[in-house]
Order: sequence, then C-alpha cells, then structure tokens
Amino acid sequence: MIKITDLEKTYRTEEVETMALNKVSFEVKTGEFIAIMGPSGCGKSTLLNILGLLDDMDGGSYMFNDIEVAKFNERKRADLRKHNIGFVFQSFNLIDELSVFENVELPLIYTGVKSDERKRRVEEVLDKMQIMHRRNHFPQQLSGGQQQRVAVARAVVNKPKLILADEPTGNLDSSNGNEVMQLLTDLNEQGTTIIMVTHSEHDARYSHRIVRMLDGRTVMENILV
Amino acid sequence: MLKNYLISAWRNLLKNRVFSTINIVGLAIGIASFILIGNYVLDELSYDRWNPQAENIYRVDADIIMGGSELNLAVSSDPMGATLKKDYPQVKEYVRLYGSSGSKLIKKGDEFINEPRLVHADSTLLRVFPFEVIAGDALHPLDGPNKVILSETGVKKYFGTLPYQDIIGKTLETDDKNKLYTVTAIIKDVPHNTHFYVDLFFSMQNVDYEWGSFLSNNFNTYILLEPGTDPIVFQKNFIGFINKYILPQVQQFMPMKSMDEFTAAGNKLVYFLYPLTDIHLHSNRVAELDTNGNIQYVYIFSAVALFILLIACVNFMNLSTARSSSRAREVGVRKVLGTERKDLIIQFLTESTLMAGIATGLGIVAAIALLPYFNDLAAKSISIPELFSKKWILIILMLPLLVGILAGLYPAFYLSAFQPIAVLKGRLSGTLNKSAFRSVLVVFQFATSILLIIAAIVVFNQLKYIQNASIGFNKEQVLILNGTNALGTQVDAFKNEISGLNGVIASTYTGYLPVSNSSRNDNTFFKDATPDINRGLNMQVWTIDEDYITLLGMEIIQGRNFSKEYGTDSSAVILNESAVKLLNYQQNALNEKVYGSSRTEQNKFVPYHVVGVVKDFNFESLRQKVGPLCFFLGKSSWSTSFKVKSADVQNLIAQIETKWKSMANGAPFSYRFLDQSFDDMYRAEQRVGKIAMTFSILAIFIACLGLFGLATYIAEQRTKEIGIRKVLGAEITGIIGLLSKDFIKLVCIAALIAFPLGWFLMNRWLQEFAFRINIAWWVFLVAGLSAILIALFTVSFQAIKAALMNPVKSLRTE
Repeated sequence: MIKITDLEKTYRTEEVETMALNKVSFEVKTGEFIAIMGPSGCGKSTLLNILGLLDDMDGGSYMFNDIEVAKFNERKRADLRKHNIGFVFQSFNLIDELSVFENVELPLIYTGVKSDERKRRVEEVLDKMQIMHRRNHFPQQLSGGQQQRVAVARAVVNKPKLILADEPTGNLDSSNGNEVMQLLTDLNEQGTTIIMVTHSEHDARYSHRIVRMLDGRTVMENILV
Repeated sequence: MLKNYLISAWRNLLKNRVFSTINIVGLAIGIASFILIGNYVLDELSYDRWNPQAENIYRVDADIIMGGSELNLAVSSDPMGATLKKDYPQVKEYVRLYGSSGSKLIKKGDEFINEPRLVHADSTLLRVFPFEVIAGDALHPLDGPNKVILSETGVKKYFGTLPYQDIIGKTLETDDKNKLYTVTAIIKDVPHNTHFYVDLFFSMQNVDYEWGSFLSNNFNTYILLEPGTDPIVFQKNFIGFINKYILPQVQQFMPMKSMDEFTAAGNKLVYFLYPLTDIHLHSNRVAELDTNGNIQYVYIFSAVALFILLIACVNFMNLSTARSSSRAREVGVRKVLGTERKDLIIQFLTESTLMAGIATGLGIVAAIALLPYFNDLAAKSISIPELFSKKWILIILMLPLLVGILAGLYPAFYLSAFQPIAVLKGRLSGTLNKSAFRSVLVVFQFATSILLIIAAIVVFNQLKYIQNASIGFNKEQVLILNGTNALGTQVDAFKNEISGLNGVIASTYTGYLPVSNSSRNDNTFFKDATPDINRGLNMQVWTIDEDYITLLGMEIIQGRNFSKEYGTDSSAVILNESAVKLLNYQQNALNEKVYGSSRTEQNKFVPYHVVGVVKDFNFESLRQKVGPLCFFLGKSSWSTSFKVKSADVQNLIAQIETKWKSMANGAPFSYRFLDQSFDDMYRAEQRVGKIAMTFSILAIFIACLGLFGLATYIAEQRTKEIGIRKVLGAEITGIIGLLSKDFIKLVCIAALIAFPLGWFLMNRWLQEFAFRINIAWWVFLVAGLSAILIALFTVSFQAIKAALMNPVKSLRTE
C-alpha cells in the first residue's frame, strides 16, 4: 500500500539546519498495523505527517497504492486525504463549536455524501464507538476518553484505507488508553491499515511490526507475532 | 455544506460575545451612516433628473466683465428665449421664469399673507417642465394675463380642503397692481429635487417691466434643444447673436464700432448654456432661483460614509486575525479532514456575511430611528419610504454580501493559509500576535478619524472667524422689518413712531442690506461725460438715507456722510474703497465725478460728485471679494431697520407689532435680525461642520471599539507574561505602559499621516472663501492629542484589568 524510498526532510532556520528524516525507506502492506517508536525529536511525527500528506518532503519517493504522490499539489493531496486517510491525534483536535455528531459528520460533508446517508453512517459509527448517547454534546462536555473515541469515530466514518494515529493514548489514562487501542485493533482486524506513532511499549505491542527510529533514520524493525 | 458553515458561524458568533458585539455594533453604525448619507448623496444627484427632457434643457447664462467688475449671471435678457427660438431651429421650446419681483402679499380670508414661493412664467412652462396637472387646463394654463397655476401645497394654503375642481376659475387677490388672478390649473407639488421651489406660477404678462431690452438681464431662461443638438456647437451661435441684437442696443448710448472694441478694453460679454442637471450642484451664480447645493459637499459626505463603513470593516479584519489562534486549530483539523482552501475561504466569508447581515438589520433600524435627526442635520426631508426606494433597496440588500466580503476577505485568506501541522502542534501561537498588516489597518482607522477631527475643527474655526471677522459694519442689535412699503405714505410716520419707543436708538430705511438674499441693483458708470468703454465701471448702486451708514456702524474714511444740510446731495455719491481703487482715483477721491444714467430722466447722462468714501464692508458672503459699490441718497422703504438696545426685546417687538397692525391695513408683520440673516449665509458651512463633527465622533467610536477588542485579546494572550513580570517585581504602571505602548505608537503614526493630508485638504476647502483663516498648528495638536488620549483611555481599561490581576491566578490559568 505504501512504499517510501530514501525519504528526506530538512528543517532550516537562519542558523541551524536539522535533518529530520535522513533517507528513510520502508514499506507498509495493506492490512498491516505498524507502530513507529523512538525518542523525542527522532523524526517519527515528521514521518507520519509526510505519510498523511500534511507536510512536504525534500527528497525521495512516496508511492501510495502504486501512485507517486510526492509531487501532488494541494488540491490532489486534499482529495487523496479525504478519500483514503483518517487521522487520530494525541490532543483529539475536535472542533469546539461543533457537536459530537457534527464533528463526526464533517469528513462526510467534505466527500459530498448526501444528508440521509451521512446521518445513517454517523449514527452507525457512534453506535460502534459507544458514544451515541453523547451525540448532541460538545467536546468540552466530554471526558478525554470520550473525546478520543469521537476522534476515532471521525477518523473512520469515511471508511479510510489507512489510519494515521499520532500518540493516540498520550492524553489518556491507562483504561481509556486500552479502550482506544482495542478500537484500533478491531478496525485493523476488519481490514484497515494502521500506522501509529507512540512512546508506549505497551501500546506498540498491539501492532504487527515496530519500526524504531533514531536521528531521522530507521534503525531497527521488530516483527511481533 | 452551507448549513454546516452557518451552524459553525452562528456558534462562533455566540461563543465570542465581545468580539461579535464589537463587530456588529461597529458595522451597524457604519451601515446606518452609509444608508443615511447614501440617501443624501443620491437625493443631491437626482436634482432635475425627474424631467424626461432633462438632457436637452439648458439655462442661458451670462458672464459679464465691465470696468474690472465681474458678473456671473444665472439670468439673461427678456427677448433672449423668443429670439433664440425664432432664429435657430435647434431650439424646440423656451420658458422664462421671473423671480426678481420677490414675494407678493396674497389675500387669505381677511388678511394678506406674505408668499415668497412664486415666480412669473411663460405660457410654455409645462412644455419645458412637465409638472403633473391634476385639475384645470393642462395645455395652456398661463396663456394670457392674470392667470395662476397652484401646486397642491399652494391650494392647501389658500383654499384649504376645497375640492380641486371647485378651485379652478376662482381668483387669488394679490397686492400687485393687477390684483386678481384666476386659478387655471392645479399641479402636483414641484418635485423636491428641482432646483427651484415654487408653489405659484403667475402669468408672465403681468410682470411690470420695460420689455425688449437685450441689455438688462433679469430672466431665468431655459431652452429645450432638439434631441441630438450639441450644446457646445450651439453656443457658438451666441457670437453672431450678440453682434446682431446686442451691439446695436449698446451703440445707442455708447460710441462703439464692434464687440472687438469692447473686448479689447478688457471687457467681456459671453452667453452660454448651463445644463439643467448641473444647476443644483454646480451653479452658484447671481440671481439663482433658489439656494443650490454644492458638489464638493457631495464628495465629502460620500467619502465620509465610505470611510466609516471601512473603519467598521477594519475592526472585523483586525479582530478576526488577532484572535486567529483560537480558530487556527479548527482550520488545521478541517484541512486534515480534506478541506480545500477555497472551502475554508467560503466558510469564513459565510461567517463575515452572517455578521454583516445582522449588522445590516440593526443598521436599517438605526437609520430609521435616526432619520429625523439626520434630516435636521443635513436639511433634507427624506421620508422612510424614500430611504428604501426601489433603486436603493437593492443596494441595501446587497450590503451584507458586499460588507461581508469586504470585511471577511482578508481574514479568510489569512486564516485559511495556516499549515495544519503547524497549528495542530501549536507552533503558530507566537507569531499570531504581531501582524504588520493589522498595524497598517489600525493606522488607517486612526488617520481617518484624526482627519475628520481636523476637518471639523477647521470648519468651526472658519465659521467663528466669519462671525467675528471685521466685516465693516455692525450686525448686532439691528431689527429689520420687512415689507414696510406696504405702509405706503404712512411709512415715515410709522418710522418716527417706532423711533420714539423706549429701547429704539436709531432707524433707517434699509431696502439694500449687506447680507445675501437682499435687494441688489447694479449699473455702469463712466469717468467722463462721454461714455468710453475703457473708462467704465459696473458697480452696485444702493439707495440709502442719511442714517444708514451711522446705524450700521460703517466707517467713512474720506469726506462725509449724506446730510440734510446739503441741498445738492441728490446728485452726490459715496463710494466704497474698491470702487475708488477701480476708478483709479489718486489720493483724494473727493470732488471727483462719475457719470451715469439720470435717476429722474430717461436716456439722460448726468454727473454725480463724490462726497465721501466708505471703508470696504462685506456686502456678500465672505466667500466673495468686496466689489465696487456706490451709495445714492434716497428712500428704499421696502425694508426698515431699527437699532435696538433693550433688556426685553420680545416686549419691544410686541409694541412694534401693535403699532404695525394699527397702520398697515392687514399687511403681514414680518421681522428678522441682521445677525441672523448674516448667519443664514453660512448655513451650508454650519451643516458641514456639524456633519463632520457627528461623523468624526462616530468614526472615532468605531475605531475605539476595534482598539478595545484588540487590547482585550492582546491582554488575554499576554496573561502569563504579565503574571511572570509581576512575580519578578514589575509595577502596575509599567505593565499598563507595556500593553499600551504599541497601540499609542500606531496612533502617533496615524497622526503623522493625517496632519499633512488634513492641512492640504482643508486648505483646499478654505480656498472657497475670499476671507479665510490660516490653519493654526494647535488644530493638529488638539486633533492628534485627543485621538491619542481616547485611544489610551480605551486600551488602558484592558491594560489596568490585566495588570491588577493576581499573578498566581494568571499563571495558573495557563
């Protein structure tokens, strides 16, 4: 599904040049669940942002479903994102002014799904995430765990082929964290590819493969059974 | 999608109450101002355009220079119209309006009332000005003498509620020698946007006039040209016209071979066509039928309306971008979810349009509520239905969209440009507080406000200068009685009786007065017994009595006043300084002679000896230079003035009125004070001053609303910094200074921009006055300082609040 080769990314300020990614190469197959680990500043979030087409790369190749996407313009990227990729963030990133239902509905609006169909699909996914009873609440009225479940619901409502999760349990206590990890595992079992950045060895054990990074390079891969 | 945008917009509006209130209130004020001033401007621009033939109607005007004195006339001679129609097929029709006879007394019931709104008109009136006839003869209502057309207002005034059909054929009795006029037609009121305001049109034949002279210009003459006639080309015909008709009449009293000779002596006689639709806003000539508007003020007010609206839009731009950090995350999330930038732009524009829509609603309500005050301020009579007339309602309905886009476009582009990873990682927050463009916008707001303050101060200063200027006569405590000629032979007796009243110091006949809208008379004089155009001078000729100069406090600088002691004063003149200068008398003007038409015998040329020179006094508005003028001794008794000195003026007036009623045979009692008439000449300027003041206050208020909003957000964002500074020992004053400094710097820059601009623009306005102030340095100081103080007050409110906050609390909130 994803094949990156010699990926490079450099951050420049007036005085310093930092190589965030240094010729990173790896491959992700459809249906895989991958955890990316490493110390702060090793480049794992940068890698995730590039995989999600949120950030530009300075060199190398990025094939998504056998199509080179490295040179995509903003419109094509937005299009690819909304149809194929769901995001889960550490800080949930829900829109405060929109209710639970409206937050989850948002990706469907952007992909032009009709109103009746939207309602059906949002309710279905809220039901699955066991957050249906909170559908009319606003994000501030929910606990962290509930907010992350809404965020996951929003990520999956469009049935994306790939979910990118950036420390999805970072702001949660262990029981809420486990719940979210279970949700991701279930989704993976139903066929969704998942790439997750995490600091937690515990969370990483939910994945099939751990990619370890250091100073902008992949240094080791552990395959879990 | 739109629903989602609206939901999000509405919730954002409710969530940020301070922000929304500031924007909506500011925009509502801006929109109300825009609606009101817009109506004023449209109304001014609409003058005479109701006339379907407006594009082909022209007034025949004349520019005359003779002996150095210049006359710009809105009138031409009585045979002008008919001769043009006879000689040139391009002239389809003409009509003359004659307003020089002034008001008439018209009988209503048992008493005569003074009617100023009248003219005499040719029978062709309705062919040039197609007023709507609602009763009577629609085709030839003024064919023949002793006929009158009434407007609905005129009908109401003289016939009350009588049915229109019953009024046709009835007569109106007047005080002129024709006495009775038959009502032949009733028309709808002359549209208010016509350059004259008339309720009664009398037959032209009843004007008491020496007909046939091409040399006296007393008729406002309008010609209707055939469609397609080029007025510029047509005007060239006037050269031939002058040679054919005017030259022979001039030659009768002046040896002159051709008009070239006349021009070679530095004189000028030019006729030209003034477009009907330009009269109201561009024409300010002698013998206008009514006081016209001024295109300059239309420009000024249009600019003010736009600026106020812009200032309000700037608030939206500034506050939206200043608090963008609170929207940044939303932008990031939406972008991650696949929104394109254009969708985000539409979303933000929806928000600004929604806000502008609410503001438009409020603005409309405010405009309706403030309409009476505005009408008063601008001297208009705009009604509520007119406020929302067909052509205007479209613009008003478009306002939310226009204002929404104007205000929202910059924030929409600014906000939608955020990079999702940057905002989601919180990497933007530091850079959001400072924006060069936002500073530019604040500078724009305050520069405009300061400019308006400067304008208001300069206008008021010029008005004060006019009111206190040394005008060469004393306008205080002079009571003028109008229409005293109605007393007939009793006028002297009346004057003597009033002079005997306690509180009356002196009296004089004042048919001619040194204020506008008073009688005027001019004639040409020569330095020699045989008229030589090189040695002629056209000047004002006023007939006054022996008491006039003393009562009005004028100063004789050479010679003497008229006096009963000299039997020869009937052939004496007193000149003003300008006349002496133009006549080129060296040192001593006394004992010189000027030659002119005899006052008693027709076609006779006689000498007048100069017995005195009066110091120049301003007999027209201070916009104009003082022209040449001479006084003759005589009795102009259609107005009589009294110098009064009484603690109880009202009681004195009541006594005079009682005396009047016993002697005046039902003629109406009407009086005014000279200083009031003097002030009346500057009504337009007073209005401009008041409007500039009102709207500069509004502009500053809106700008300060914005500043208040900005200060609020900046203080909020710097809460943590302030807490840390306080923990480290910062004083409260230091923190207030820290938060206010940046804003005050911007207002200072605005002042530096506004000063030269204000100086330039206001000096241009002052050029309209022959007598004017120099703009003093303190005007700028006052304007700049008041803007800075108001801004400081606005900002410090938030700064003090932030500075007084307990640092423990402010650190904990972070």
